[in-house]
Amino acid sequence: MTTLDVPLLRLQDICVSYKGNRVVHDVSLDVAGGEVVALIGPSGAGKSSLLRSINFLETPESGTVLLSGNEVGAGQRRGRTQVSKTALAAHRRDVGMVFQSFNLFPHLSAVENVALAQVHSLGRSREEAKKRAYQELEHVGLRDHAEVSPAKCSGGQQQRIAIARALAMDPKLMLFDEPTSALDPELGLEVLGTMRRLAHEGMTMIVVTHEMHFAQDVADRIVFMADGRIVEQGPAKELMRNPQHERTIRFLKAVRDR
Amino acid sequence: MADFLQVLATGIQTTVLITAGAFGVGVVLGLPLALLRRSRNWLLRAPVIAVVEVIRAVPPIVWLFLVYYGLSSDLAQLSTFQAAVGGLGLIAAAYMSEIYRAGIEAVPDGQWEAGRALALPNLSLYRRVVLPQALVVVIPPAATYAIALLKDSAIASVIGAQDITFHAFQETQASLQGLSVFATAGLLYILLSLPIAAVARYADRALVQRMAA
Amino acid sequence: MSLLQEWQNFLPDFLPGLWVTVKLTVSSLCVGLPLGVLLATGTTARGRAVRWVALTLVELGRGAPGLIVLYLVYYGLPQVGLTLENFLAATVALGISTGAYTSEIIRAGLNAVPRGQREAARALGLSPFKELRLVVLPQALRIVIPPLVGFAIVLYQGTSLAFAISTPELLSRAYNAASISFQYTAALTLAGVMYAVLSLTAVALLGIRNPLKRGSP
Repeated sequence: MTTLDVPLLRLQDICVSYKGNRVVHDVSLDVAGGEVVALIGPSGAGKSSLLRSINFLETPESGTVLLSGNEVGAGQRRGRTQVSKTALAAHRRDVGMVFQSFNLFPHLSAVENVALAQVHSLGRSREEAKKRAYQELEHVGLRDHAEVSPAKCSGGQQQRIAIARALAMDPKLMLFDEPTSALDPELGLEVLGTMRRLAHEGMTMIVVTHEMHFAQDVADRIVFMADGRIVEQGPAKELMRNPQHERTIRFLKAVRDR
Repeated sequence: MADFLQVLATGIQTTVLITAGAFGVGVVLGLPLALLRRSRNWLLRAPVIAVVEVIRAVPPIVWLFLVYYGLSSDLAQLSTFQAAVGGLGLIAAAYMSEIYRAGIEAVPDGQWEAGRALALPNLSLYRRVVLPQALVVVIPPAATYAIALLKDSAIASVIGAQDITFHAFQETQASLQGLSVFATAGLLYILLSLPIAAVARYADRALVQRMAA
Repeated sequence: MSLLQEWQNFLPDFLPGLWVTVKLTVSSLCVGLPLGVLLATGTTARGRAVRWVALTLVELGRGAPGLIVLYLVYYGLPQVGLTLENFLAATVALGISTGAYTSEIIRAGLNAVPRGQREAARALGLSPFKELRLVVLPQALRIVIPPLVGFAIVLYQGTSLAFAISTPELLSRAYNAASISFQYTAALTLAGVMYAVLSLTAVALLGIRNPLKRGSP
C-alpha cells in the first residue's frame, strides 16, 4: 500500500443490474497496490459484472469506485452512476482489461493492436507507440509475431497480445475476465504463465477465473462470490485449504470432484 | 438488329452515369444518416428514422417527379440528368444508411468493449476500430443494392433522361420491333449488372475467408 | 391556396386512382404468385432442362428493370400480334416480375424445411403429394409469409411504373392533375403521401421488419 489507509482500488456498496435483474448486491472490496485477487464462484455469481463495473463497461446502479482514493464519477442519477467523459477516459486509461474472447482488432496486426490506443487514447507519437508495442510484445514472448494478423495466431498467442495491448497503456490495475476460459488447457497454460510473471513483477491484478490452481498459487487473496454477493474471502492458500462458509465448501468440493 | 443495338448503346453512358452518380450520393450521405440513426439522443435519431422510412415508403418514380417537376421548377431548373441523380441519390442514401447500419451492428460487442476499455475517444473508436470492420461487411449488400439501383435508373427515362430505356422507347415508337428492342435492352441491363455482381461475389468470398481464418 | 386546400381539391380525383393501384397490385399477385410457385418448383426440379428454363426465366425477370418488362409486354407483344390494353399489360408485366422475385422467396422457404422432415414423412409412408401438403408446405408457409407480404408492399409501390403505359392508377392521376393545374409539388406530394400511408400502415400492422429493404421490382 502506498499510503497506509488508501487502497489502490476501493469498491463501496456496488450494485449492478442487468436487464432489470440485480446481479451484484452491495459489494464492497479493497485491493491494495501490488495485490493479486482471484474472484471465484459459480457461474451467475456476478463475478464478471462486478469486474466490468470497475471500469464502467457495466455502469453500476449505485455505489462508488475509488482509484487511489479518488472517486470515479459524481453520484447517481436515474439509477446510473454519472461519470463525465473525460473522467471516464482518464479512469479507463489507468485500468487495463483482458477479455475472455480476447477482442483483438482483427483488421490490425499484433503491433498495431498494441499501438492503437497509445496513439489515440494516450496521445503518444506513432514512433513512440510502436517502440513501446514491440517492447510489450517482447514482454509476453511474441516479438516475432508483431507483424502477424491476430487471426493467424493461436488463442493463447492472441490472449498474450491482448495482455500486451493493455500493458502498453501503463495501467495501475489489470482486470482479467476469465482469460483462459476460451482456450484449450494447453494454450491456457501459456497465458497463465504470462499472468504469473506479471504478478511477480508487482502488477495489481483482479482475475475472474475458474482455474483453482492458478488462484491458489498466484493470488494473494481469493474472493468467493455467489448470488451477487461476496460470501467469503481470505488469503488464497488458507481459503482453499480451510473454507469456512458452507456455500464455499460446496463449490470447492464440486470443482475438485470434476 | 445491328441498327437498334447501336441506338441503345448510345444510352449506356447515361445509364451508367446516373447509376454511379446516385450510388455515389448514397455512399456519401448514407454513412452520416446511419450514424445519426444510432445516436443515443432521440432528437437526432427520430428525424432520421422518419426520413429514411418515408423515402422508402414512396415509389422511386414519385421522388423523381417531385425532384424534377416540383423542386426543379420551384427552386432551380434541373436537367433531367441532375434530377435523376438527385432523386435516385436520395433513395440510395436511405437504403445505404440501412446497409451501413447493419454493417456497424455486425461488429461484435467485444470490439466496442475493447475500444472503450482502452479509453479510445468515440471518434477514434469509430474510425480505427468499428468502421474498418463494418465497411468490409457492407460491400456485398452495397453491390447488390447497386444492381437494384441500376435497374431503378430505367425510370429516369420517364422524365426524359436519355438512357438505354429512353432510346429503346424512342426506337419502338418509330418501328414495330418492340419485342426485339426491349428484350435487347433488358439483356443490356443484365450485362451491365454482371461486373457489379462479380464484385459482390468476390467481396463475399473474401469476407467468408476472413471470418474463417 | 394552402397545400392542404389543394390536397382537398385533388383527393376526390386521386382516390379512384388509388383504387386502380390496389386492383393492379392484387391482380399482379394473382398472376405472379402461382407463377412464383411454378418457377420455384421448376428451379428445384430433377430434370436438367426444366431447371435451366426456370432458372433462366427467373434471372431474366429479376435482372431486367421492371420498366423494361412493362414496355416489353405493352409495346413488344404487338410485334407478334398480341395487343393488350394497358391494365392487362401492366398486370402481365408486374405478374412476371412478381413470379421471378417470389420464386426465390418460395424456394428459400422450401429449402428451409429440414431434410429430416421429408425423410420422416417418407419413413411414415406418406405419398410424395401428402408429404408436400401435410409436412413441407405448412412449415415452409410460415417462413415464406413475412417476406411475401414484404414483397407485396414493394409491388404496391412498383405499380407506379404502370404510369409509363398510361394506366389510370394513382401516379397517372397525380401527374395529369399536376400538368393541368401546374401544382406539381402539391399533386405529387399528395400521391407520395397516399403511397406512404398505405405502405407504412401495412408495415406497422403486419409488424414486418424492413420489408422495403429490397429494390423495387
